[in-house]
Order: sequence, then C-alpha cells, then structure tokens
Amino acid sequence: MEPSKRHKLSASARREARWGLLFLSPWLIGFLVFTLVPMVASLLFSFTDFNLLRPDEVHFVGLKNYRHLLHDPLVEQSMLVTLRFILISVPVGMLFPLLLATLLNAKRLKGKPFLRTLFYMPYIVPMISAAYIWRGFLGTTDGWLNKGLAVLGIKGPDWWNSPRWIYPALVLAGLWGVGNAMLTMLASMQGVPTELYEAAKVDGATPIHTFRHITLPMISPVLFYNLVLILIGTFQYFLLPWVIKGPNGDPGGATMFYNLYLFKTAFPYSDMGYGATLAWVLFFIILLVTLFLFGTAKYWVYYPSEEV
Amino acid sequence: MVSGKMKRFTAAALLTLFAFTLLTAYLSPFAYMTSTAFKDLHQFSRPDAPLWPAQEKSFTWEGKEYPLYHVPFEDGERILALVKKGREESLFVDPQNPEAGEIRWEGRWRTLEPVWEFSPRWENFPEAWEAIDFPRLFRNTLIIATVGMIGTLLSSIAVAYGFARFRIPGKKVLFVILIATIMLPRQVTLIPTYAFFARIGWTGTWLPLIVPHFFANAYNVFLLRQYFLTIPRELDEAAMIDGASPLRVLLSVILPLSIPAIVSVGIFHFIWAWNDYFEPYLYLATKPELQPISVGIQQFNALYSNQPHMIQATALMGLLLPVIIFFLAQRAFMRGVVITGVEK
Amino acid sequence: MRKWMVFLSVLLVLSFFLSACGSAPTATPAPTEEATEVSTPEPTEEATPEPTEEAVEPVVIRWFVGLGTGGNPEQIEAQQNVVDRFNAEHEDIQIELEIVQNDVAYDTLKTEIASGNPPDIVGPVGMRGANEFEGMWLDLSDLIESHNYDMSDYDPATVEFYRDNDGALLGIPFAVYPSFIYYNRDLFDEAGLPYPPHKYGEPYADGDPWTVEKLEEIAMKLTVDANGNDATSPDFDPENIVQFGYLTQWTDPRGQATLFGPGSFVDENGNAQIPENWRAAFHWYYDGMWSKWFIPNGPYQGSDLLAAGNPFNSGNLAMAHCHLWYTCCLGDVENWDIAATPSYNGQITSKLHADTFRILNTTEHPDEAFTVLAYLLDDAAPDLLLVYGAMPAHKSLQAAFFEGLDEKYPQGVDWQVAIDSLSYADHPSHESWMPNFAKADDRIKAFQSLYENTPDLDIDAELDKLRDDLQAIFDEVK
Repeated sequence: MEPSKRHKLSASARREARWGLLFLSPWLIGFLVFTLVPMVASLLFSFTDFNLLRPDEVHFVGLKNYRHLLHDPLVEQSMLVTLRFILISVPVGMLFPLLLATLLNAKRLKGKPFLRTLFYMPYIVPMISAAYIWRGFLGTTDGWLNKGLAVLGIKGPDWWNSPRWIYPALVLAGLWGVGNAMLTMLASMQGVPTELYEAAKVDGATPIHTFRHITLPMISPVLFYNLVLILIGTFQYFLLPWVIKGPNGDPGGATMFYNLYLFKTAFPYSDMGYGATLAWVLFFIILLVTLFLFGTAKYWVYYPSEEV
Repeated sequence: MVSGKMKRFTAAALLTLFAFTLLTAYLSPFAYMTSTAFKDLHQFSRPDAPLWPAQEKSFTWEGKEYPLYHVPFEDGERILALVKKGREESLFVDPQNPEAGEIRWEGRWRTLEPVWEFSPRWENFPEAWEAIDFPRLFRNTLIIATVGMIGTLLSSIAVAYGFARFRIPGKKVLFVILIATIMLPRQVTLIPTYAFFARIGWTGTWLPLIVPHFFANAYNVFLLRQYFLTIPRELDEAAMIDGASPLRVLLSVILPLSIPAIVSVGIFHFIWAWNDYFEPYLYLATKPELQPISVGIQQFNALYSNQPHMIQATALMGLLLPVIIFFLAQRAFMRGVVITGVEK
Repeated sequence: MRKWMVFLSVLLVLSFFLSACGSAPTATPAPTEEATEVSTPEPTEEATPEPTEEAVEPVVIRWFVGLGTGGNPEQIEAQQNVVDRFNAEHEDIQIELEIVQNDVAYDTLKTEIASGNPPDIVGPVGMRGANEFEGMWLDLSDLIESHNYDMSDYDPATVEFYRDNDGALLGIPFAVYPSFIYYNRDLFDEAGLPYPPHKYGEPYADGDPWTVEKLEEIAMKLTVDANGNDATSPDFDPENIVQFGYLTQWTDPRGQATLFGPGSFVDENGNAQIPENWRAAFHWYYDGMWSKWFIPNGPYQGSDLLAAGNPFNSGNLAMAHCHLWYTCCLGDVENWDIAATPSYNGQITSKLHADTFRILNTTEHPDEAFTVLAYLLDDAAPDLLLVYGAMPAHKSLQAAFFEGLDEKYPQGVDWQVAIDSLSYADHPSHESWMPNFAKADDRIKAFQSLYENTPDLDIDAELDKLRDDLQAIFDEVK
C-alpha cells in the first residue's frame, strides 16, 4: 500500500492495528527468536570453524566449509542416498493414500467410518514404537512377513541388512505415516460437487475416465499440498533408519542420508560450522525444489475460484 | 431388477472384502507386536517355534528336564523326551513309561517337531514397566506435554484471534510468512538454536522443549483462525458496543464458541509431544531422569537389543495412550486434520 | 482476563527462574573450587617441615570417574568408601571424588581440561577412552622409581600394554580383560568332537596344531542346517542354518582382524594403511560368512536364532572369541568353558582390554597423585575390582576373583586359560589412537556393516577404498 494511505488511518483503525499486533506479538517474537535470527546465525556459522567443545575459539574461515563440501565424498554419497530414497518413497507416499482415499470414497463400501478410523490409526503410533514394530515384523528369519512369504514358497528378502532391500523396507514402514494424506484426500474427494459426477454419468463416462478427468483435477490442490510436504519431509528423512539401524548408516552406508550426516557432523563430531554449511545447502536445495513445484503448479493444479 | 440388485450386492461385498483384507494386512504388524510381547525369551532362538507365545513341553526324568518331541516309529508316532542328542542317532525316554529306560532312535533329532503349548508370559509387562521406569517416563512426558499444550493454546489462540479479527497493515504478508514456516526445514535453525540453548545452560533441561511453544505454531494458528472466521462478527460487535475490550470479546464471545477447535489443538499437541523424539533426544540424552517416554524407550531398547519380547512390550506401552486418546477423540482429531490440510 | 495475563507472566518468570537454577550448578562451581585449590599448594609444601597444625593445608587430589565403568549406585558407594578411608588415614593428601555418568563424561572432561580445571586422576578408563585424550597422560616411569613402586606382581605383557611408542609408561595395570575362546560343551558333545585345547602351545586332540585353520575345520563341522547337515556336507543348506561354528564376537574390524596378529590402520607417518595380515583376516572372515558359512553373517547375527545380537548366549553358537567381561552376559547358555586362542602364521594374539587409573600430565602434584594412584591400585583394589567386575592385574589377587566367578558359573570353567591369555596381549592395541578418531572410527564400522551384510563383495577393492577414505579423514585434521 502507498504511504499516503497509511497517514489516513483513523484513530480507531490505529487502535485496532495496535490491538491486533499485540495479539500477534507471541508469534512475531517467536518468529524472530526461533526462526529468523537462528537462520541468519546459521548462515554466519557456515563461514566459521565453530566447534561446540571450543566455543571461545571461533575463527572466520571464509568459504573453506563450502569448498570442503564440494570435495567431501560423504556429501555426494549421502545426497545420492537421499535422492534414491525420494524416487522410491515419494510416489508410494502419494499413491497409497490416494488408493485408500478412493477406496474409502467408494459408494458401495460398507463400514466406512470404521475403516477410515482404523486406516488412519497407525499415524498416531509414535515413531519410536513403529520403528521397533516394523524392525521385528520385517525380520529376515523371524519376521511375520517373511514367514508369510515362506508359506507361499517365496524366500523373503533380508529387509534390514541388504543395502538393496532396506529402501523397500523403509517405504513399507512409512506406509503407517500416510494417515494425514489419506484423510485430506478423502475429505477433498467428498467435497467434489455431485453434479459433476452426474453429468459425467449422463455422458456415459467410465469410472476410470471419471476419476482421471473429474476427481483428480478437483482434488489437485490437496495433492499438490501433500506433494510439497512429503518432498520437504523426505529431504530431511533420517530418524526411522537411525533408530532401526543405528547412527552409522548401516547396512554399508545405505542409510547414510544427507540429514544423518548433517546431524553427525554438528553433534557427535561437534563441528557446528560445517554442520551449518550442510544445513544451508540442504535448505537451498529444498527451496529450489519447492519453487520449482510452485512453478509447475499452474499446469496441473486446478483452483476452482480464487476465494480468500 | 433382481440380477441388478444381486450384481450391486456382489460388488459391494467384494469391495468390502478387499478393504478389510487390506486393513488386516495393514494392521498385521500390531499382531506381531502383541504376540511377541507375550513370548518367553527362549522361544526366539528356536527357529521351529510357532508364531504365538508358546513354551516347549518337557518331561522331568531323574531330576533333569528334557524336551518332548514327536518321534516317528514304524508303528506310528510317539511323544518322547530327548535325553541325549547325537548327530545321527539320539536317546529318548517315554514319559508314559520312564521305567523302561532309554530308547535309541536312529535319525536326526533336528528334523523332529517339538511339542509346543500356548503359554503367554504376562510377567513381561511388569518387567518392562520397571525396566524402563514407566512411571518416571510417564510423569516427564505428561509435564512436557501439558505445559507445552498450555503454552501453545495461549499463544496460538491470541495469534489466531489477531489474524481473524483485526485489520493490521501487512497482515496478508505476515500470514503468508506464518504458513511458509510450515515448509521451513528444521535443520536450518537447529544448530544455532542448540548452540544458544547450550550457551544459556538450557540443554539438559525441559525448557528447550517447552518454552518455544509459548510463541505459537503455524498449524494451530491456522486451524484456530479458520474456526474463528466461522463465528459471526455481529457477536463481537454487539459485545464491543457494550464496551467490551478486544480481550474481553476473545474470552467471553470467541472462546466459548470455539471449544471444539481448542480441544482439537490440545489433543494435537498432546499426541505430538508424546510422540516427539528428536529434540527430546538432542536436549536430554545426558539426563535419563528427565527423558520423556520416546527417548526412554529408545535408550532402553538400544541397551537390550537382544530381547525382542521386551522391545515389543515397551513399544506397546509407548503407543497405548495416544491410540486410546485418538479413539476417544477421533472426530475432533480428524476434523482438525481436514481443516489444516484441505482448506489451506 | 487479567488472570490469564498474570498466569502467563508467572509461567514465563517461572521458566526463566528455573532455567537460571538449571544452568547455575553446571556453569559456575568448578572455577571457584579451582581458585581455592590452586592458590594453596605452594605454601603447603614449604610449610610441611614445620609441624604447625593450622598451617598444614592438605593437597587435594581430584579423582574423575566416568570414562569407563564406575557410575552405577553400588560402585558410587564403594568408591566413596575407598575415598573416605584414605582421607581418614592421611592428613596431607585428601581425595576429592567426582563421578560423572558415562554418556556425558567425555564432554565434561574435555570442558574441564579446556577451561583449565582438570582433575588429577582419571579412571577407570580403557584404551579407547584414553585415546580420546591422547597426549594428556603423565609418564609414570620416574614416579615408579622415586616411589620404589613394586612392579613384580604384574605380568610383563600387561605392563608393556601401557607403554607408548616413545617408551613412556602411561599406566600401571589394574583391571584386565583377556580374550580367549568361549565354547559350548553340549554342541561339541552332540557333534562327537573333542573340546579345543586349554593350554597355549598344545595341539588339538587329533594332534594338529591349534591354528586358525584348525578352528575353521571344526567350526564347519559345528555349523548345522535345519536338516542336520553340517557345513562340510554337499547337501548343506546355507539358507536354513540353525547352529554356527565360530564368531569373533562384539568387536569392530580392528578387533576382529587382531586374531591374525596386531596391527593398525595408521602407519608410522600418520598415513592410512591396511596391514597385510589384516587383509588376510578380512578375507578369512568374509569367506567364513559368505561361502563357508561357519561364521554367522550380519543377517544371522541379528536374527532371533542367535538371540538377536548376543550369539554365544543363544546356545546356537559353538565357539566365540571374546573378553573376560563377557561373563557379564551368559545367563542363558549353560554348559560352557573357555579355551586357548588359536595361532595364525605361528603367532598367537589374544587381544586385551584393560582399565586403569591414569594421571593427567597437567597435574600440579604428581607425587601426591601417584600416592593416591598406588593406593587405588593396591590397598583399594580388592573392593573396587569387586564392584567393577574386573579381573585383577595383581597376580596375588586373582585366585579370590575367580572363586567369585565359580559361584556364578558352577559348571566349572578353566580360568587358568584367562590368566595364560594375558601373555599374548596385542601390541599395538586394536583400540589404539587414530587421527580424527570419531570420524575414522565410524568409517571403519561402516566397512564392517558392509562386509557382514553384503554377499559377492570384492574385499580387496573395499579395503583399498577404506584406506583412501581413512586417508581423507586423517588429512582433515592435518
């Protein structure tokens, strides 16, 4: 708004703004103290050799951390691990809740509220409990999945110890985290105006056609929202394998995710300067990906009408 | 007519059957957890043991216990106690007729099937309860979650009210920034925040886990704001005309009408705090006496990694309360998820 | 509404108050104590000749516990008793006990050293813990001489263990944990095999020398699948193994490789290297896990069959090479005994773990510190070793220690094997120092998880890659 308008704010408007700011102040202060200042500090750290064990001997080292990052084999390795995992887990993390939502939205399905509650429930299970449950459930010789496969005559893979099978194992365990995505997709499907479906029926459209050309575009904002969140989340992924396989990226470096390397650098190795560098690089990558996604949104995300 | 009805019925039945099969598979790890939590430690190192909690039947002979096996003979199968193992032949005793002495059987005992009986081990739970000091973990978690909940409710209500009802210059921009913080990766603020808390001596205390919640949170603000927007403005204005201050309006008009949203936020926070692991680990790894349940379970299981029954018993103890709360308040809970997820 | 505001401000004030309380004890007290201590000593020494009571300020020796064992309640009590007894008997020296829990002890000690407030004596501490403070330990050679300290009751090999490359003696043996073969008699009986030899230098029952190759041979006979075929049988099914022959249990690659002789990933110039005997060792382990099957590989080690990580205790592992401290965790397997470590290339190496008390070279009172050290090693040793659960390095105290173990394991264990194993300690130690220790150690553990979990690996290529990565990690701190 132009400055002249600001002067014209009446006394009552100014009073209202003051009250409003007072109410916003907890967040404004919090944003400053816990977000903005740490972000800037993190950037400053990345140009120093700040070590938590020697907090009084901090030196400015220029771009040394960034140069080291370019030649650090673990950065390349852990970034590749992260990208590989994204390629496997993000599609599953989008399609599985979409399947569940479509199923729960089916007209003829019985026991919907019951099914919806129980399909959602694993989302509530604490990550720690889920990690131990899945670690046992996918055990090589003793896990129930492999015992079930053995009944079918299939030799189950070595889920947690094979560098190749650990990603599918993590994706399976991640299926318990789709509750929110499922629920939002379902709610969005239920919000699609029935007239659209009736019109399609009159035109003789097949269910697949209807799904493809009515349901998907209509729920695309929710799909977009979930895709953004899941991508950002997966770039930061490391806790579940950390709890299950320990802090060394076992087996054979397959779970040395970028974020795990970041955590180890900053905390166990106490190298906060380099850790901050890794964090800023991650932030920058996530920012680029998110901006790219927003850039593509206009080609596939359908907003019925811009209402605020 | 009838065939159409029949067809529809079959379709519904098939669809429902599919959904329930999928659900069973989806939840089967819970069955694994429950069954394992009731097992005896000795059952795990036996590759031929059944899935359910079981104990090997044994027979006491001359003061020592020997396991029972199904042993095939030419005239049929007998249940015998294995007293001396050998690679190609072993010695057995017949529990029905121990006086007859040792029976030599040629063959490999490893190919025999042992006799298992159903035997859930309830003691696992009191043992796990004590081993992880559940009352202490529970108390710590409760304090962290409750104080944090009070903090996030106080601050988020205030901020949501500010966004919902006041004309403030630059409000739109601020709101976009608020929502954008949802997408900010935590790592970018984590290191300086930790260094700061370490500097002021807050590491090893609950404060880093509690104090930030007194400064509102984007999800909660958004959810509450959406709810406040549905409350007719006329109600505020009527109160204002009666001379009520904005704070009075919030307390006596908005809040009483927003109980469901407030309950949602409260439950969200409580379950989130109960499940939160990383930051409690980061700040309290050196203080076992202050740790909440998630860290307590992880540290216990890292030490007792070779006791699957204990691990699953503690996993069960960790998930019970949030799951019960969820079932009790599922409608408020899922409504909240839909508001924050769909309307944004 | 005011109530709300009041409540909020009270909460905030309270939280800041709490924070102040929480931070104060950790941040402030140490320097003040130090100030009083440091200012006093010099006058004390001058004053000692004159027997004026008031003027005699005792020298305070700070004993830091936490880098190893020593933090559980019964240990804390025993340590305090030992300190109280000393303090009652001595007027000129007083011990001040400082106990920190193990998980924070490293950082606490680092901070104390960095802030110029170090303790005098640290321990019990093992080799690994000592490595983190490389270059900070006092050479005891001169003090041993000036105090006429009697070293004759110690096994010379265990003394050598504490000598660094420059010949300085950085510790006197206190608690030792030799390693040897644990074996399960029942599994040998079932297979009809004689037990491994108990005396070093003796052959196996069939007359063949007790070597790694011989161990492999009997271990394969002790590796059995679900159908009862052993690993030497053409019908053997490696997918369904129910019993294993051998494992070098609960150690990292450096520990595993030491069965083939001592070595180090660091050469004299501080560069990364793979010793030749270790290269052979890693091939042996890898083949044992993935083509001869007598060593459980990663998946089997983690399976419930082998008690999910406590293999020998599951009763499904015939032999395990491990340390004396493993007597902690053998509650479930019944009929076990111990035997000699086999030789490789004519050389026997039984890797050693040893805990002792060390003196930091920053101490202002080396003589008084040594008096306290000698007290801990001799007079206080029986009480301390008991609560630490450790084998005494003093030969004269060993018999009583093993009597205690016999009560715990009544099947009759030949403890002489443990005593004899001390003579074959590894030097350099498998836990010796490396540059950029934490990161290098992680890289080595990653190599372990790779070879234990991956079939069809090119071990030589992986070892070369390990060497290159270690070189890069070492270079980071050059």
